[in-house]
Amino acid sequence: MRILVIEDEPELARQLEHRLTRESFIVDLAHDGPTGLHLARDYPIDLAIVDLGLPGLSGLDIIQQLRTEGSRLPILILTARQGWQDRVAGLESGADDYLGKPFRMEELLARINALLRRTGGWAHPVLQAGPIALDTRTRSVSLNGQPLELTAYEYRVLEYLLHRPGTVISKNELTEHLYPDDADRDSNVIEVFIRRLRQKLDPDDSLGPIETLRGRGYRLRPDLAPT
Amino acid sequence: MMPSLQRRLLILATLILAGFLGATGLVLDQAFRGSLERAQQDRLQGYLYTLLAAATLHDGRLEMPDELPELRFHTIGSGLYARILDDAYRLNWQSDSLTGIPYNIDRLLAPGERRYYQTDAGDDNLYALAYGLSWEDADGAVGNFTLHIAESMDIRAHQLIAYRTSLWGWLAAAGIALLITQAAMLHWSLGPLRRVANDLKAMESGRKSLLDGHYPREIQGLINGLNQLIRNERDRTTRYRNSLADLAHSLKTPLTILRTTLEADPDHKPPPQALEQIERIHGTVDYQLGRAAAVGRSRFGQRTPILPVAERIMRSIPAVRPHGPPITSLHCAVDLRFPGPEGDLMELLGNLVDNACKWCRGEMALRIEIIAHQGENGLCITVDDDGPGVPVTQRERILQRGGRADESRPGHGIGLAVVRDLVDSYRGAIAVGDSPLGGARFRILIPNG
Repeated sequence: MRILVIEDEPELARQLEHRLTRESFIVDLAHDGPTGLHLARDYPIDLAIVDLGLPGLSGLDIIQQLRTEGSRLPILILTARQGWQDRVAGLESGADDYLGKPFRMEELLARINALLRRTGGWAHPVLQAGPIALDTRTRSVSLNGQPLELTAYEYRVLEYLLHRPGTVISKNELTEHLYPDDADRDSNVIEVFIRRLRQKLDPDDSLGPIETLRGRGYRLRPDLAPT
Repeated sequence: MMPSLQRRLLILATLILAGFLGATGLVLDQAFRGSLERAQQDRLQGYLYTLLAAATLHDGRLEMPDELPELRFHTIGSGLYARILDDAYRLNWQSDSLTGIPYNIDRLLAPGERRYYQTDAGDDNLYALAYGLSWEDADGAVGNFTLHIAESMDIRAHQLIAYRTSLWGWLAAAGIALLITQAAMLHWSLGPLRRVANDLKAMESGRKSLLDGHYPREIQGLINGLNQLIRNERDRTTRYRNSLADLAHSLKTPLTILRTTLEADPDHKPPPQALEQIERIHGTVDYQLGRAAAVGRSRFGQRTPILPVAERIMRSIPAVRPHGPPITSLHCAVDLRFPGPEGDLMELLGNLVDNACKWCRGEMALRIEIIAHQGENGLCITVDDDGPGVPVTQRERILQRGGRADESRPGHGIGLAVVRDLVDSYRGAIAVGDSPLGGARFRILIPNG
């Protein structure tokens, strides 16, 4: 999943990037309002974390602009402003959640996961697709209750598919959401990840959890998860 | 409450007018009574000369002819009477009109003496003239006599009543007309003050932000001063809030970095003392800034409509919760107003609702109503939840800063402490009890002021 962090304090932005990357998210950073708005508009972002006090364009303006343009990007406000007036104004501008500074990183991660889950239509933090269970809190996967070892990229692919149950996802889209922009992208690698995932999730080839739709992309088997 | 300016002026004008018109009436009444008396004296004088002209002395007795020019002397009980006494109290003559009527003063006067007096004859009040005279007949014999002529005072009384009716009637009419004019003048000239009062009311209810009407020169200075004061106050509040927001930002961002740095390495747990100190600083900053941001009861009676704020707060209840969004209910009449600025009301409701949402299992309710409290109307805010409730022993503690009944939930116990400070600044009261929903009930009373 690809997260946009719009935060003008460089050290905090760096720490957020570091931590989120460690949690298998792809992170885009913006240090001012206009850059943030540009990234949110033109990049395949899954969620944005927006500070309110930003140079150039305030966080509220960015959110209002995005919502006016019809964007449904999940947005979490991260701010040092504590008053209810700011909080209510932030949520009324179209943000989905609000977290005050200083925050616990664990709480931020929980909120991010909850927001992503809600966008995918999942009510519970454990995304269940047949025998496959992905726990967004611990970022672990199990098959029939047995823990499954996945690499970070394999986890990202599975998480992305699970967050869009029933949707056909092109190789290109997967690449965009799984790799940072400056990474050396090779869509053939996606095929490799998908093959390895299939082997791990379906060792005896009986389940077929990931379908390939020729020329269009991949899809989680629709009957496995709620849409 | 003191009576209004208009009423004071009207009361004063009524008293002055009543005094003035009353005195005028009394003086005129007095003068008219005097002139009535003088007219009657003149009439009696006229009768005296008529009688004297007709009188003849016969055998030492002064007598009158059978026919007198004034017919009333011949009609019994006509109200005009005359009698003549000699100096031995002997009745020489009396008019026919006195026949059978007792006349109870028979004094004698020296010749040339003249006296007016009041007496009565039967039921009649009389005004009389007594005149002493000396009469010499052709033989040179001289007799002293006293002539009494009396006339009924009925006519005078009737004239006086008619005069008084007309006098007081006109005076009363003039007084009422003057008072009405006065009231109209007052109403017109006090109009600008009334407009100021209305504009202030409009400001209280939030329909106006400044006194922007046109006022007479005499009070325009005062209005300008008041507007300046209001503007300054608002500017100051805005600057103050901005400074607080800047302060919050410049304190909290480093705190966040500090905390994230401590938690950066997943393999090493950060020292708990360090985290605890950060929490303490965070709590202090939150609490003090929250307290400082509370404006309190507004100096210019600013009132905030409650329902829109309550609805915005309820809408901002985070949908992101472990068990999904709670079932909420809101009861608040459309016309309820909070006696302070919007920011304070938001902090109050926001923190209470946030607290209820944090603890509730699936349901919370916010009710705002007017209730009678210690003889005056007060605002009552009740927040219920279906959570675990607050044990009796903890109820006082959770309203204090940092006082959290359960340390395992996020939050610094700041919200309720800020609520308590706000309630105190509005001279209100807060109580924690049991909710019919099964959890805690927070009840706040704010005097309307």
